[in-house]
Amino acid sequence: MAIKFEQVSFQYPSFDGKNFSALENINLEISDKGEFITLIGETGSGKSTLVQHMNALLRPNTGSVTIYGIKIEKNTNKNKKIKLNPLRQKVGLVFQFPEYQLFEETVLKDIIFGPKNFGVKEDEAIKRAKEVIKHVGLTEDYLGRSPFNLSGGEQKRVSIAGILAMEPDILVLDEPTSGLDPKGRDALLELFTNIHKKLNKTIIIITHDMNTVYKYASRVVVMHDAKLVYDGLPNMLFMDENIEKWNLDLPDIIGITKQLEAKLDITFTKKPHNVNELFELMKGVL
Amino acid sequence: MKNIIVGQYIPGKSFLYKMDPRSKILALFILMVSAFVFKDITHIIYMLLGVLVILKIGGIPIMRIARGLRPIMILLLFTFTFQVLFIKTGPVILDTVLTLTTINIGIMILAIVVWYYTRRYIKSKFFYMVLVIVGILTMLSLFTPGTVISSSNLTIYEDGLLGASFIMVRLIIIVTLSTILTLTTKPTDLNLGLERILKPLNLVKINSEEIALIISIALRYIPTLLDEANKIMLAQASRGVDFTEGKFKDKVMQIISLLVPMFIISFKRSDDLANAMEARSFVPGNKRTRIHILSWQSRDTLVIVFCLLVLTATVVVRVYL
Repeated sequence: MAIKFEQVSFQYPSFDGKNFSALENINLEISDKGEFITLIGETGSGKSTLVQHMNALLRPNTGSVTIYGIKIEKNTNKNKKIKLNPLRQKVGLVFQFPEYQLFEETVLKDIIFGPKNFGVKEDEAIKRAKEVIKHVGLTEDYLGRSPFNLSGGEQKRVSIAGILAMEPDILVLDEPTSGLDPKGRDALLELFTNIHKKLNKTIIIITHDMNTVYKYASRVVVMHDAKLVYDGLPNMLFMDENIEKWNLDLPDIIGITKQLEAKLDITFTKKPHNVNELFELMKGVL
Repeated sequence: MKNIIVGQYIPGKSFLYKMDPRSKILALFILMVSAFVFKDITHIIYMLLGVLVILKIGGIPIMRIARGLRPIMILLLFTFTFQVLFIKTGPVILDTVLTLTTINIGIMILAIVVWYYTRRYIKSKFFYMVLVIVGILTMLSLFTPGTVISSSNLTIYEDGLLGASFIMVRLIIIVTLSTILTLTTKPTDLNLGLERILKPLNLVKINSEEIALIISIALRYIPTLLDEANKIMLAQASRGVDFTEGKFKDKVMQIISLLVPMFIISFKRSDDLANAMEARSFVPGNKRTRIHILSWQSRDTLVIVFCLLVLTATVVVRVYL
């Protein structure tokens, strides 16, 4: 297992002495081979806190997170012998609103900033930059431009390219598609699927879009009130009765199917994944 | 980063909290002036006692004030040392020769090394340091075996000691008084009070409302920007920036990677804020109504009268005694 959470709890300190509990007793295992995980849950349920534990940006208050064999506990940073930085190359984390991390004069310099920090040679980093900029749906012309003259969506893609150029084994993205138009969103999700399939890397995405969960994910993790309440297949999740309680909703296609079942008073043999499958099912029934 | 608290306000119930911020600012000003009028050490010690009485009545723990004094401790020590060494009038209190010899220089270095490695285990680091310095000086003047390397005279005069103590006490009074103000007044109230007090400046075309607005916006955005800075640090840490270590060249890069986004965010935020204020029909210079209206009560008048009496008394003392 690449990442292993063992009874992890985490509280944010606050001024009045009461602590705000963001994670409570989380147990989770993530492999770095071929998983496509979506992490869902209402705002404030601890999703972002959870992913910040995955590359040792935060340390648990109790319990431990083991990342590539390095055990992270409450007092880990006091031990100078443990280098946390290499972990951050292996687990690439793209923050929500990554456009704020841009700071260099050109897009190229910003993309190679990450790889160079991890000791990649400059020409190798430039080679990677030329490759990843195409992956995120931009052209090489962008490399010479200033990141601050780009639109919000383009900035977001550049910052994702900056993480991709680090060539992490596990790619974690905190709401990567928020603020993007539908076309850009689909392109980005296709990109992640490609990375997932071709390079057999693990992708973890925080999202609020159930369609993304249903269409792309091989595994779904649900957070609710700082607790991990579901970990399993997306298909099974949407059969679960608790999804109302967890403030989740159904993907469009399942919503339609359920409506149809209720209106026509029939039961389909399985849940469809897209319109075509639904059409086939309808033909079978009628 | 998270532990920075802006403004030192701690809620309480004493009369200091019930006072109008305007009267508190005025009183602070008057008392500071009287602290500067005094010229005699005994008088200023009476004033220090008076300040302690205010603390007692106001229910402010002395420890809070001591904590407020900590940042200027170095400054106090510095002024004290120089005053003691450079005022050379009055009777001599101490006259000794500091001698540096081959043996006691070794002991001195040893003491410094021991201090350097043990200071983290001692709770009051400051007093530990003072103790070590005094110890070394005593040794240099009394314990002088071995070959003499160099020696110098150390003479302390009474006026020097008195003058130094006088300046220390005056600084402590001033800092304590201003700490009382910030401890018992909410930043917003302080701001409002300042605005009202600066109002006469409108006559010379200085807009006190705008100054107050600038201060309140700045105060309001400190926590927000700290939060943003924290987020950016985490994001850059994910890209391999290690803020805890690195050579000087790396450090510069680390700071740039934090500062550039911070500037951009601040500009963006100020733009957004300006738009939001305009959307709610804020026009600079227009007359505005307020939610909080300050009310000047008899206790405020009383305090101001009392402070003025103190000031008069100090002037009388200065002139006639």
